[in-house]
Amino acid sequence: MKKSKWKSQLTSSLFVLPYLLLFIFFLLIPIGYGAWISLNNWDLLNPIHEFVGFKNYSKIFDSSSYLNDLFFEGLKNTIQFVVYSVPLLIVIGLGLALLVNALPRRIKGLFRTIYFIPYAVSVSVVAIIWLWILDTNSGLINQYLQNLNLPIIPWLTDMPWAWISLVIATLWWTIGFNMVIFINALNDVPEELYEAGALDGASRWQRFIYITLPSIKPTMLFVLITSTIASFNIYGQPFLMTRGGPGTSTKVLLMNIVDEAFKQRQLGNAAAMSLLMAFIMIIISVLQFRITNRKE
Amino acid sequence: MKKKKWLGIALSAALVLGSLAACSGSKETSKSDGGKTQKITYWAPFSGADGPRMKNIVENYNKSQSKYNVDFQIIPQNDYYKTVDLAFSGQKNSPDVLIMHTDQLKNYADKNLLKDLGDTIAKTGVKEGDYSETAWKAGDINGKHYSIPLDIHPLILYYNKDLFKAAGLDPEKAPANREEFLSYAQKLTVPSKKQYGFVVPTLWPNQFIFPTILFQNGGGLMKDGKPNYNSPEAVEALTFYQDLIQKYKVSPANVQQDGEVTLFLQGKNAMHLNGPWMMEQWDKAGINYGVAAVPQLGTKQQAVYANGHNFVIPASVTDTKKLDGITDFLKFVAKNTMEWAKSGQAPASKAIYENSEEFKKMKQQPIVASEFEYSKFAPVIANWGQLSEPLWSEINLALLGKKDPQKALDDANKKAEQLLNK
Repeated sequence: MKKSKWKSQLTSSLFVLPYLLLFIFFLLIPIGYGAWISLNNWDLLNPIHEFVGFKNYSKIFDSSSYLNDLFFEGLKNTIQFVVYSVPLLIVIGLGLALLVNALPRRIKGLFRTIYFIPYAVSVSVVAIIWLWILDTNSGLINQYLQNLNLPIIPWLTDMPWAWISLVIATLWWTIGFNMVIFINALNDVPEELYEAGALDGASRWQRFIYITLPSIKPTMLFVLITSTIASFNIYGQPFLMTRGGPGTSTKVLLMNIVDEAFKQRQLGNAAAMSLLMAFIMIIISVLQFRITNRKE
Repeated sequence: MKKKKWLGIALSAALVLGSLAACSGSKETSKSDGGKTQKITYWAPFSGADGPRMKNIVENYNKSQSKYNVDFQIIPQNDYYKTVDLAFSGQKNSPDVLIMHTDQLKNYADKNLLKDLGDTIAKTGVKEGDYSETAWKAGDINGKHYSIPLDIHPLILYYNKDLFKAAGLDPEKAPANREEFLSYAQKLTVPSKKQYGFVVPTLWPNQFIFPTILFQNGGGLMKDGKPNYNSPEAVEALTFYQDLIQKYKVSPANVQQDGEVTLFLQGKNAMHLNGPWMMEQWDKAGINYGVAAVPQLGTKQQAVYANGHNFVIPASVTDTKKLDGITDFLKFVAKNTMEWAKSGQAPASKAIYENSEEFKKMKQQPIVASEFEYSKFAPVIANWGQLSEPLWSEINLALLGKKDPQKALDDANKKAEQLLNK
């Protein structure tokens, strides 16, 4: 008995091992190395890296330093995107899941695939597709608007349109993932609950509010946190579609970090900014987790 | 998640430097050397249509002699300086000779990473007189000489000949100055057809267009080592440029990234300023286009903003046999860059642009070469990329009609000064 327990523990550890190795080599060590870089004055072209302690971090909070602008303006833009995109990613993802789930079994798979396909496309393709659709002077949507004698919309060159365009492109690209997760959760809700609800005279809406939503709460939390993290990491869409414009209104934090690292070659500063950004993301995720789980 | 991948790319790029440096270097090996030949590693960012052209030159060189073997490696343009930086900082897997843009030379020269070519050149006869003076002089930094030019790529004017004919203009005669440019642009603007005389880009390539107008006004981007973005010449240049949209209405408003290129491809943009690298795209699209020197849009003089490709040698290369090989190769390139010209570029070697009959018969390339004399490069200052960043975003705001030119340039100057005093 004892021997087999020891054996099963070994087997399970072996199953964990590949991931553990990957985790150590591709996450833990790089993060540790990044943390070390952030404590140095690390110029990519200078072989001597001077240890400066937390000076790179204090520069970020020093309002006379350009890093302060770079970090907080970028952060402000990134947070705007998170605030605009996350509620839609959840609501529309859930809405699509409900719609697809209500379809007859035979075409359900087809529509699930259709909505999921964009997720498999790379960001550059997404950007090109939407640049063509949204082009101010020769794009598809504005052509239609002109044919209807409506004023054309500067989709990517004016506020708030630039944010709207970025959110639409992101929704189209990634909504399939949230939808699939929600579909699985909806399938796990016991059918008897709905039957009982219907017998007691609950309307469709009431069944949704009092049965569906509470049942999929853990999934909701998962989707909320992953969507927030994903939106925080926005980079490709503004980099390719608006180039941060108009002016610097859609220049998000990751764009600034990449510039600082590889255009200015200041790896120390960039690493400090990255870690600070990661720290903010961790705090937000923990808060989301705490707030959603409080009632239980 | 997909977007998580972007975190992966950005963060791991920032963090996993060591491993990147080791593996990104030796990817595309074109030939392995056999026996006694001296191998020379050569890096270039020619991942576009120009790559095969350079590959031909290198292969011809390798066939022409047996002493040296040049190993040509193409590194994708977007990763080029990243990879170069990592090679320089690790001092391993670093190339023996590489291509560098003119506006990057200062960054590397300041850190003593490039070889002073003064002595190498004197010994072997890669001579100043064999190249365009403009291109050669760009390699003079801090009293030393660091580079051998390959080409200069200045801004040029493309125009749609069919639209010229339709507007009753001579399709062989492009506008030469501001007045002509304006009157042409107005004649070529047909609101009912949504056709415009000159669609003003609001982002790239304003990095080339704005300095061109500014230089033509007799102004400069820097003065006494400080940003000088809000000089009267600069304000005049930006006012004129903005007027094309707001006052003369020869351009639609709110042009997005590459919107002017799309309209040029669709035959709805009659005149277009861009670099010589656009040629293959127009050829593929089958547009009936003409090429001309940039008109004098400024008020004082003819001038044009340019960048260039140059050969440089890392300071760490000291093996004399290698250096001899590199010089031999560069001498060969100077005489045999006709192949390079085929990509639309004009080589900076006089053997080609002054003396080759074949070159002079080409359509675009001789026009590019005709601008060499008055081409001007980016200010020679470390981190020009960062320092100029506020200028481009403020120009973007002005051209989108959100700021007046004076205010935009004042703001850009203030931000740049802050960057300089960091």
